[in-house]
Amino acid sequence: MKINTIKLQQALPRVFVGAENDSHVHVSEVWLRDLTLTRPGHYLVEAESGTGKSSLCSFIYGNRRDYIGRIFFNDTDISTLSIKQWCEIRRTSLAILPQEMKLFPELTALENIMIKNRLTNHYKEDYIMSLLERLEIPDKAHQPARRLSVGQQQRVAIIRALCQPFDFIILDEPVSHLDSRNNLTVARLIAETAAANHAGIITTSVGNALSLDEIDDVKPTHIKL
Amino acid sequence: MVWKLLRKNISPVQIAGYALANLIGLAIIIGAVKFYTDISSTWHDEDSFFKKDYLIISKQVSTLQTAGVNADATEFFPDEIESLKQQPWVKKVGSFSSANFNVNMSMEIGGRGMSTYLFFEAIPDEFLDIAPQDWAFDPEHPMIPIILSKDYLTLYNFGFATTRGMPQLSEAVMSTLPINMTLTGNGFSETYPARIVGFSSRLNTVAVPQQFLDWANERYSSGEALNPSRLVVEVSSVGDPAINKYFDKYGYEVAGDKNDNSQAAYFLTVITTIVLAVGAIITILAFFILMLSIYLLLQKNRQKLHDLMLLGYTPFGVARSYYVLIGVINLSVLVLAIVMALWASSWWAPRLNDIGIESSSPLTAILVGVAIILVITLINILSIRRIVHRNFFD
Repeated sequence: MKINTIKLQQALPRVFVGAENDSHVHVSEVWLRDLTLTRPGHYLVEAESGTGKSSLCSFIYGNRRDYIGRIFFNDTDISTLSIKQWCEIRRTSLAILPQEMKLFPELTALENIMIKNRLTNHYKEDYIMSLLERLEIPDKAHQPARRLSVGQQQRVAIIRALCQPFDFIILDEPVSHLDSRNNLTVARLIAETAAANHAGIITTSVGNALSLDEIDDVKPTHIKL
Repeated sequence: MVWKLLRKNISPVQIAGYALANLIGLAIIIGAVKFYTDISSTWHDEDSFFKKDYLIISKQVSTLQTAGVNADATEFFPDEIESLKQQPWVKKVGSFSSANFNVNMSMEIGGRGMSTYLFFEAIPDEFLDIAPQDWAFDPEHPMIPIILSKDYLTLYNFGFATTRGMPQLSEAVMSTLPINMTLTGNGFSETYPARIVGFSSRLNTVAVPQQFLDWANERYSSGEALNPSRLVVEVSSVGDPAINKYFDKYGYEVAGDKNDNSQAAYFLTVITTIVLAVGAIITILAFFILMLSIYLLLQKNRQKLHDLMLLGYTPFGVARSYYVLIGVINLSVLVLAIVMALWASSWWAPRLNDIGIESSSPLTAILVGVAIILVITLINILSIRRIVHRNFFD
């Protein structure tokens, strides 16, 4: 399935039902609004803690379904998608970096990436090693993920998220533990890969945002959650 | 790599426990089925067709009858037969009809002729489950087929032939001997060729086809038809105590040791059933151990399964390694159980052989084992599939 637009129609996490008039929902440009995200647009969703940013990512990625309102890929209501279709979408159309990264602690950094890549056969191992080099962690390739610092884990998880074709990539606080130099390197890599895929980027932050603004030719749309 | 992740919480002890328990259960079941087919195969043997569900009954002969008083007291009257038919354990009743005329048999053995008076009996063909060739009589081309009791041959060979200097005869030779039967009565006396077409160690008589006897009685009998003095009864379950009770009450006797044999067979069946039940219970318990183990394993690996599917792995993709694991374990259990059961059967086969029970094909037992393992594996796989699917959404 080629996803050209992601459309939110009056969506709201179930936990917020009854709190529609609270200020954070009231001022939100996402919840209880009609919002359309179009590729290859770049969207920076800025939020405070507890406003449902990870929920948003999970809803769009089909991981959670505890929301009211409707979400569409193109014209398809995503609540109608089967498990089989979701698996297909997750291999070919939607990439995600969850906030908690979800690396497998007992596998090495490289294995964590390969466990995704062998599913999509997207990159050669050499290229993955070059990505690790670019993000300055080639020496961590054969270390168990549990031994890596959070910043290193974030970079491994970002590379893993890129190991597939995608129409949209969803990044939930991708750089919360990276310094500004690493942030920019990561932002460049993501922007390049997205451009190559003609894909949209949806990234969230509670402060330390992915430095898309600092990259030439990229004008992300800022959305307040 | 997925396997490396998912094998982590597998408990070898639980798996071994399951495999052992299921192995024992399944081996017992397969063994019991094998044993059952072994002992029940004899019930279908030609020789023992009277053994399982057929009883031959007669009335007790008293001293008075020997003296000629009350001579018809060993006959079964129609109302007695009718009452017998009404019993719930009776499936069918057949009568032995006897020849109501004189029979004289003559034959030549080793150049010496011999002749003797003889008798004929017949039972309806449906009570014969051996069907010898030429078991019919055609008055146009007369040839009387006879089934002889093996006991008679033994009596002749070891009791008579040895002391009288007559040649001993094998069954095969006996079957080729030309025999002449002279039937006398009702003013007729005619001689027909006859041939022995089979030997029975259970049918304790000189049996001819019912059709022939009816025809011969019609032609040679002067009086009216006799009531039968022996009955063959097909019963639903020989071990039924009601049978002996009924026979005791009316003074009927069951011929030979058939009833004892039948009861032995009946008890063997009961014991086999108990063993089978024990095996089934062990297998069911083992199955629950495995299910519990699977549930625990999947519970512990819940997050991993979910995260793998988050990467785009299909439920089948993540569950496949568990399917393979279950398949390998169950298949090994099946193979081992079959080997164990057949090994056990090779132990009892010569012992059963000693009492005349031949080993049967192990196919039924193996099929039962395969079917059980298939069902277990299928349920295992379906429940794994269900749990994995349930973990797809957070």
